[in-house]
Amino acid sequence: MNNMKRSARRVFWFLALCFFLLLGYLGKLALVDKQEISTSSYNIRLRNDMEGIQRGDILDKDGEVLATSTQLEDGSYQRSYERARMAAHLTGYSSVGKTGVEAAANFQMMKPHMELIQRIMGLVTKEDPKGNDVVLTVDMDIQSVAGNLLGNAKGAIVVMEPSTGRVLALQAYPDFDPNTVERDWDTLINSEDTPLVNRATQGIYPPGSTFKIITALAAMEYYPNWKDFTYNCQGEVEFEDKVIHCYKNRVHGLVDMKGAMAGSCNCYFAALAKEIGADNLRKEMEKCGLLSAYGFDLTYSKSVMHLNKKSSESELVETAIGQGKTSVSPLYMAMLISAVANEGIMMRPYCIDHMQHYTGNSGKPRVPKKMMEICTPEEAVVLNEMLIDVVENGTGQAAQVRGVTVAGKTGTAENATGKDHSWFVGYAPAENPRVAVAVVIENADAHGSATPIAGKVLQAALEKTAE
Amino acid sequence: MFDLIVMLSRYIFILCIGVYLWEAIVYIAYEQGGYLGSPYHAISVQRRLIILMHLISFLILSYEQDTHLFDWQALIFGAVSLLFILIAIFLLDRFYYEGCPLIWTGVLFLMDLSLIMLQRVEPDFAHKQLLWMILGLCGMLVLPFLLRLIPRFEIFEWAYIIVCYGLLLSTQIFGVERYGSVNWLQIGSISFQPSEIAKFLFVFYLASVFRKRVEMRQLLITGCLSAGVVILLVLQKDLGAALIFFMTYMVMLYIATSNEILFFMGMGAASGAAVVAYKLFSHVRVRVAAWQNPWADIDSGGYQIVSSLFAITTYGLLGSGLTKGMPRSIPVVESDCIFAAICEELGILFGAGVICIFIMVLYRGIRITLDCTRRYYSLLAAGITVMLSFQAFLIIGGVIKLIPLTGVTLPLVSYGGSSVLVSLMMVGILQWVCVYCEQHNEEEEQSSHQLQYMRGGYGDE
Repeated sequence: MNNMKRSARRVFWFLALCFFLLLGYLGKLALVDKQEISTSSYNIRLRNDMEGIQRGDILDKDGEVLATSTQLEDGSYQRSYERARMAAHLTGYSSVGKTGVEAAANFQMMKPHMELIQRIMGLVTKEDPKGNDVVLTVDMDIQSVAGNLLGNAKGAIVVMEPSTGRVLALQAYPDFDPNTVERDWDTLINSEDTPLVNRATQGIYPPGSTFKIITALAAMEYYPNWKDFTYNCQGEVEFEDKVIHCYKNRVHGLVDMKGAMAGSCNCYFAALAKEIGADNLRKEMEKCGLLSAYGFDLTYSKSVMHLNKKSSESELVETAIGQGKTSVSPLYMAMLISAVANEGIMMRPYCIDHMQHYTGNSGKPRVPKKMMEICTPEEAVVLNEMLIDVVENGTGQAAQVRGVTVAGKTGTAENATGKDHSWFVGYAPAENPRVAVAVVIENADAHGSATPIAGKVLQAALEKTAE
Repeated sequence: MFDLIVMLSRYIFILCIGVYLWEAIVYIAYEQGGYLGSPYHAISVQRRLIILMHLISFLILSYEQDTHLFDWQALIFGAVSLLFILIAIFLLDRFYYEGCPLIWTGVLFLMDLSLIMLQRVEPDFAHKQLLWMILGLCGMLVLPFLLRLIPRFEIFEWAYIIVCYGLLLSTQIFGVERYGSVNWLQIGSISFQPSEIAKFLFVFYLASVFRKRVEMRQLLITGCLSAGVVILLVLQKDLGAALIFFMTYMVMLYIATSNEILFFMGMGAASGAAVVAYKLFSHVRVRVAAWQNPWADIDSGGYQIVSSLFAITTYGLLGSGLTKGMPRSIPVVESDCIFAAICEELGILFGAGVICIFIMVLYRGIRITLDCTRRYYSLLAAGITVMLSFQAFLIIGGVIKLIPLTGVTLPLVSYGGSSVLVSLMMVGILQWVCVYCEQHNEEEEQSSHQLQYMRGGYGDE
């Protein structure tokens, strides 16, 4: 009988332990996993527009109102967007479902700070409690310059602060008017131009020659003799069954890496890739975060790449010059060039800076987070010199800004949809980078190249950030 | 104004369950020799808290925001169920005077919570649930007389296991499929799960067998028969029930023999069997995959668990307030996922409190096992306690994604006629054992003057 009692006691402790596990796990859900789980776009509670709460506003960095809710006579609220198309892909819309910041910060905007006090005050003032305002990192002045430069050209512009990962501007065209999404819905959803897709984060394009930044980094990492590696460019060269051309079959002659970068010599980088090897190039792409999830606030598309150990030589050389099966988003390219500007440290990109309570006080400020190291500071310095040369003497001269050293890389991406896409990624001032930019123009002709647009965006952003 | 009241009610609910648990501690402390307050008072406070919670929640639930009026149907149902709770308190006091009062208040709390949440999710379920609870209460009241009529019901050990098998096999022939498991029987308009009734018989059977000295031959026979039941349940895709039967068997075996080696061997064999089941049955693999990464298959297999996680995490520690969440968006919220609905609207803290109530019931159940001097009753009490607690662990662990989700009910809280009825009857037996031991221990005490016995039943009035 005593044995039995001892066993029964042990059974009690065993089951009690099970229950304590439940308590512990429940606590973990409530305190640790809450944010990640509840903000999933699948959570239909985020669409639960509670009546009797005034949705918070969306403000730019300087407090300019981008989206606000006004009460109608019947007590319901109407959402209006002051800057309409100019910030459409950022704010998104909140009518037929939600996108953009409206979706990302939905919960915060519907959550009144100190609800109890607001509600008790509301008994007197007859006002509904107000959700938190969202303050973005975006500067509407830069955003407007970028929007006007992009004009009616399909494409995207992302401006970023390299040292923090803050997005200063995020433009994409075709766009839409968030005030009238509900009315225009059928047109928007059926349009072949896909105006609802945010090309800056969701559009993925072959990176073209801008990819040579990664190829160069791979050489520094895995091919010790890269400094001595030269190649005599004849305008085109054959690998296995694939012929690689330089742009317009231009003959670059004998070039080293600096020269090849400035002249954007495909043949050089193709030959270099052969020395690096497919496996190493893939490793470098992973190291540069091409395949990582970067947890941006807005919906984004992950990059695509297919290179691996078993890839054929033609696949390898195509990838090395940014053609082939690799595709990246403009946001990723902005992150990559920012990392080069930031001594090899890639920061986690973000566009929501902090919440602002109804009293006007700011909530917890967001701390910039390091995402990964893509190269050593020494490698970044070497790359920096090459990229300066690209803008000073090479293909990127159109991006020059008076009085400032700009570093960058151009790109021309062949694609299946017609004329080549035009790329430019760069940053300035090269000695102490304050802004980085990535521009892509779809099917660009000679007039609408990305490079001069990037130069003007950089100039505007520099002027603005110098204040 | 209504929003404000709902907001404030969240704090009241959490205060309610907090004070409720504190009073349980007061009661237990008194028993252990410490004094934190009067145990009589503690029980009466607990009862008042249940009534307070009931009143607040039904006032909130019956209010209609559009018309600013109260819904009469909901109010009447609230009143009727309140009456039920009051009558239950009164009758249980009379019929089980020496039963453990903490288990009674625990059971009443859970039943009241069940009525509140079901009224919130789907009033129709709440009405039916109340009917089943009334039936269960009647059953519990008849139980003491019935057991007095059959003084040695442990001699029917073979009958228990045969009927148990009969019930489980009957679903193979007459069963109807629900939620992917063929474990329901339909008689007229009433459908029920035979495995629920089988639970009852299974505990009786094991207690009957293990009351004697356990010989090798005996061990093999019961082992094989129990394994048969478990395998049958796995074949019927009722994984939750299979696990509960297995755990009950293992624990009762362990308590009866006090043999750790046997216990770990059994656990080892079960792990092996689990691996085999995983390889053999696709429905096992689907459950495990949905648990490991529900996000990967969010549109089908992982949908239920993901919805339940959304419900639990979205509104945080205090919850959204009654009527303010979206518990209806969770599949099968009325039975499997009722715990998620509780966490969503009443808050995670309240959910944690519910777990603590189960710990309390477990503690009291084991206490009865320890206090009982007759081996058979002691085993019976242990079996019932383990079965109820383990079932609660399985389903709560399932909805919070600690373990794979198996579709069992949360005892006394989830909607389900046979589940409520059987759970109530099991609690009835547990209490009856408590009463029995109380009386017999007293007799012994009086005859031998040796045993110092502290406990007695506490009436409120």
